[in-house]
Amino acid sequence: MDSFKVVLEGPAPWGFRLQGGKDFNVPLSISRLTPGGKAAQAGVAVGDWVLSIDGENAGSLTHIEAQNKIRACGERLSLGLSRAQPVQSKPQ
Amino acid sequence: MDHYDSQQTNDYMQPEEDWDRDLLLDPAWEKQQRKTFTAWCNSHLRKAGTQIENIEEDFRDGLKLMLLLEVISGERLAKPERGKMRVHKISNVNKALDFIASKGVKLVSIGAEEIVDGNVKMTLGMIWTIILRFAIQDISVEETSAKEGLLLWCQRKTAPYKNVNIQNFHISWKDGLGFCALIHRHRPELIDYGKLRKDDPLTNLNTAFDVAEKYLDIPKMLDAEDIVGTARPDEKAIMTYVSSFYHAFSGAQKAETAANRICKVLAVNQENEQLMEDYEKLASDLLEWIRRTIPWLENRVPENTMHAMQQKLEDFRDYRRLHKPPKVQEKCQLEINFNTLQTKLRLSNRPAFMPSEGRMVSDINNAWGCLEQVEKGYEEWLLNEIRRLERLDHLAEKFRQKASIHEAWTDGKEAMLRQKDYETATLSEIKALLKKHEAFESDLAAHQDRVEQIAAIAQELNELDYYDSPSVNARCQKICDQWDNLGALTQKRREALERTEKLLETIDQLYLEYAKRAAPFNNWMEGAMEDLQDTFIVHTIEEIQGLTTAHEQFKATLPDADKERLAILGIHNEVSKIVQTYHVNMAGTNPYTTITPQEINGKWDHVRQLVPRRDQALTEEHARQQHNERLRKQFGAQANVIGPWIQTKMEEIGRISIEMHGTLEDQLSHLRQYEKSIVNYKPKIDQLEGDHQLIQEALIFDNKHTNYTMEHIRVGWEQLLTTIARTINEVENQILTRDAKGISQEQMNEFRASFNHFDRDHSGTLGPEEFKACLISLGYDIGNDPQKKTGMMDTDDFRACLISMGYNMGEAEFARIMSIVDPNRLGVVTFQAFIDFMSRETADTDTADQVMASFKILAGDKNYITVDELRRELPPDQAEYCIARMAPYTGPDSVPGALDYMSFSTALYGESDL
Repeated sequence: MDSFKVVLEGPAPWGFRLQGGKDFNVPLSISRLTPGGKAAQAGVAVGDWVLSIDGENAGSLTHIEAQNKIRACGERLSLGLSRAQPVQSKPQ
Repeated sequence: MDHYDSQQTNDYMQPEEDWDRDLLLDPAWEKQQRKTFTAWCNSHLRKAGTQIENIEEDFRDGLKLMLLLEVISGERLAKPERGKMRVHKISNVNKALDFIASKGVKLVSIGAEEIVDGNVKMTLGMIWTIILRFAIQDISVEETSAKEGLLLWCQRKTAPYKNVNIQNFHISWKDGLGFCALIHRHRPELIDYGKLRKDDPLTNLNTAFDVAEKYLDIPKMLDAEDIVGTARPDEKAIMTYVSSFYHAFSGAQKAETAANRICKVLAVNQENEQLMEDYEKLASDLLEWIRRTIPWLENRVPENTMHAMQQKLEDFRDYRRLHKPPKVQEKCQLEINFNTLQTKLRLSNRPAFMPSEGRMVSDINNAWGCLEQVEKGYEEWLLNEIRRLERLDHLAEKFRQKASIHEAWTDGKEAMLRQKDYETATLSEIKALLKKHEAFESDLAAHQDRVEQIAAIAQELNELDYYDSPSVNARCQKICDQWDNLGALTQKRREALERTEKLLETIDQLYLEYAKRAAPFNNWMEGAMEDLQDTFIVHTIEEIQGLTTAHEQFKATLPDADKERLAILGIHNEVSKIVQTYHVNMAGTNPYTTITPQEINGKWDHVRQLVPRRDQALTEEHARQQHNERLRKQFGAQANVIGPWIQTKMEEIGRISIEMHGTLEDQLSHLRQYEKSIVNYKPKIDQLEGDHQLIQEALIFDNKHTNYTMEHIRVGWEQLLTTIARTINEVENQILTRDAKGISQEQMNEFRASFNHFDRDHSGTLGPEEFKACLISLGYDIGNDPQKKTGMMDTDDFRACLISMGYNMGEAEFARIMSIVDPNRLGVVTFQAFIDFMSRETADTDTADQVMASFKILAGDKNYITVDELRRELPPDQAEYCIARMAPYTGPDSVPGALDYMSFSTALYGESDL
C-alpha cells in the first residue's frame, strides 16, 4: 500500500468525486476525477483511498462529515491518500 | 555340787612315787596291801561264790586265780587242770598268767612257780598287776588313762570340795575327806559332809569305809588306823580302794549315763516317733490334698464361653500361685522331714524309717508326679480350650457376619426372580432383562464360593464342637436351601426370558417384514390415490390421451397390488396367531411402522373407489380438450393474419422514418395516413381479443396453431400505435428543432443516418459504445476537426445529437443534462462526460448529481432551496421529508430559510463532487 499526501491550492472546486463514508460502510475514496482538475493535476487517481483530510484521520467520518470538512478547507486542502497495489488487499 | 571350803594342806602336795619303788616292799605296806588286795579279790570272787582268806596261799593252786580272772574279765579261761600235783598247779597258774599276758600285761619277774610256791611278794605283785590291769588300766577320764586318769577322776570329782586336794594316792587321802567327798559327790544322801572335820580323819575314814561297804557294795579294803598311823599310806592299796570307788561310781555314772542315754535315746525315739507321726500326717494330708486336687485337674468339662473358660484359667492360676506353693512347701518339708528323720535314725543307729503303706516317699513322689502331670495336662487343656473357644468365637462371628451379608444380598432376590415382568415386555425390554439376568447370573456365580465358605465355617464349627452348633447348622441349612432355590429360579427365569425373547424376535421379524412391505405398498397406494385424484391440467388432446393410457396401465397393475396387499395382511395375521397361541402379552403395536392393516384396507378401498371416478374425469377432460382445440384453431387463424399485418405496418413506418424521403412534412402526412389505417384495423384486434378471452377462460395457455400470442399482438399493436405516434412526434420535433435552431435537414439526415447505421437492432437507441462510434462517424473524430480534436462537443451539437436520438429536449431537461455533462460550465461537453452521461442514462440510475441538478432546477438555479420552493415543486410528503432533513445553507449567498440541498443529495448517495 502506497500512502502519500497531496496538497491542493484553493479555491474549490478540487476536481474529484468523493465516495463512501462511515454511514455507508465503505471507506472514503476517489470515485471520479475531473480531467485537468486540481486533484488530477496533483496526481490523485481514481480509486485512491482517503486516509486523512487536513491531517485528521478520515476513517471514522460519515460522508457528510467528510464533505463538510473538505468544504471547510478554503485556501488549501491537504489529503492523505493511499493507492492499492495491483494485488488487491482490502484496507482495514 | 556343793563347794566345800578346802583346808589347804601342803602335806598332800607331794610328788608321786615311781612304781619301780614297789620292789622295796615296806612291811607296813605289805600289810596294807595284803589286806586291801584280799578284800579286793574277795569283792570279785564273791560273785563266783568263793572267797580267799590268805592271799599268798589261796592262789597257789591257781584255780581261784583263774576264777578271779574269769570274773573280773568276764571271759572264760582255758579249762583248769583238776589235778593236785604241782604240775597241774603250775599249769593253771600259767594259764592265768598267760591270760594276763594275753591282755597285754608284761609280767616282769613273775613266774608260775613263785606263785605256786606262795611267794608273797610275787603273789602280791601279781595281784597288783591284775588290779592294775583290770581295775585301773581301763580307767579313762578325759583322755587320761590308768593311774593318771584315776587321779584326774578323783580331782574332778572332789573339785567342789575346797578342803580336799588330791595330789597323790597316799598322803592326800590321809584325812579321809577325800573318800567322803567322793561318796558325797555321787551319793550326797549317804554322808552329811558338812559335819565332817578335817581334824578327825579317823571318823572321816571310817565313815567313808562304812558307808562304802553298806551302801556302795565296796568291801573295806583299808584300815583307818593304818592309814592315819602311817606317814605315807600304801599307794597301791589306796589306788586299789579308790579304783573300787571309781568302778562303783562310774558304774553308777554309767548307769546315769546309760539312763541319760536311754532318755536321750528315748527322747530321740520319741522325737523320731513324733517326726514319723508328723511325716505320716503330713504325707496323709498331702496325699489327700493331691487326691482331691487331681480330679479337679482332670476335669475336662468344657465351658461354652470364653469368659467361663478364662475364669477356669484364672482359678488354675490361683491354684498355681496361691494353693499349690504351700503344698510344694509341704512336700518339700515332708522330704526334709523324711531326710532329717532318716539321718537322725541313722545317726542314732536306728533302723531307717519305713513309712506306712501308701505313704512312702515313692508314693508321695508318684502322687506328686501324677499331680504335676495332670496339672500340665489341665493347663494344656485349658489353653487348648481357650484357643478353641477363641477360634470358635471368631468362627462363629465370621459365620454370622458372612451369613448376614449373604442373607442381605439374597433378600428380595427370590421375589425378583419370580417376577413375570417379561410377560409384558417388548423385545428391547426383554433383551435388557436378559442382560440384567446375565449380570445377575454372574453375580450369583460369584456368590457361590461365598456360600461354600459359609458352609465350610459351619462345618468347622461343628468339628470344633461349638456349643451353639444346632442354630448355626440350621441357619447354614437355610442358606444352602435358599441357594439351591435361587439357582433353580434363576434357571427357570432364564428359560422363560429366552423363550419370550425368541417369540418376540419372531414377531419382531414379522413386524419388520410387514413394515418393509407395507410401507412401499402404502406409498404406492398413496401415490395411486394422489395420482387418481390428481387434478390435471391438460392443454392438448395428446396429453389427455396420455393420461388415459396411463390410467389404463395403472388399472392393469391392480390385481398384483391386491395380491401384495393380501400377503401383507397375511403377515399381520401370522403375528396375531403367534400372540394368541403363546399368550404373549403385547403392547400390540408394530414398532417399525404405524401403518395398520385397517389403514391398508381402507386405502385400498379408497383406491378402488377412485378408479372409476378418474375414468369419468378423464373422459370429461377429453371432451373439453377437443373443444379447446377448436378454439385454438380459431384464434390461430386470426392471429396469423393480424400479426403479420402489424409487422408489415411497423416495418413500413420504420422505413419511412429511416428512409427520410421527401420533406419532414411529407413524412408527416404519410405517417398520418398510416395512423388512420391502423385505427381502422382496431376491430380486428378487438375480435381477436374476444377469441383470446374465450381461450383464456378455457384456460388454454398455448396454441400451436400460431406463434403469435395475444400479448404479442397486443404489444405489437400498441407498439404500432406508439411507433406511429412517436414517429409522428419525432418528425414534428424535428420540424420544430429544425425551425428553432436552424439545423439543416442534411445535418439531421446525417445524424439520423449515422444513428440508424449504428442502431443495429433498430431499437431507436444506442448504447454508449454504439453511440461513441456513432459520434465518431458523425465527425467527432479527433483527427478531422480542431474542435473535435479536443474530443469535445459544443452544447448545440450535443443537443442536436440528443434530439436525433429521440431525447425530448425541453429546456429544463437539457439544462439538467448539461449540468451533468458540463459541470464546470466550460461550454463544452467532453466525450467522456457525454459517454458517462449516456452510460448513466441508459443504465437508468439516479445519481447524486442528478438529484442535485434536479434540486437546482427546482431552486431556480440557486445553490440553496427554500421551504416554499420545496413545497411548491414537490408533492407534500416529499417536501416535508426534505424540509425536515435538509441542513441550513451556509454559503456566502445564503439567506434566512435557505436549505442546503447539495449536501442532502450527496448524503443520499454517498457521493459528492468537490
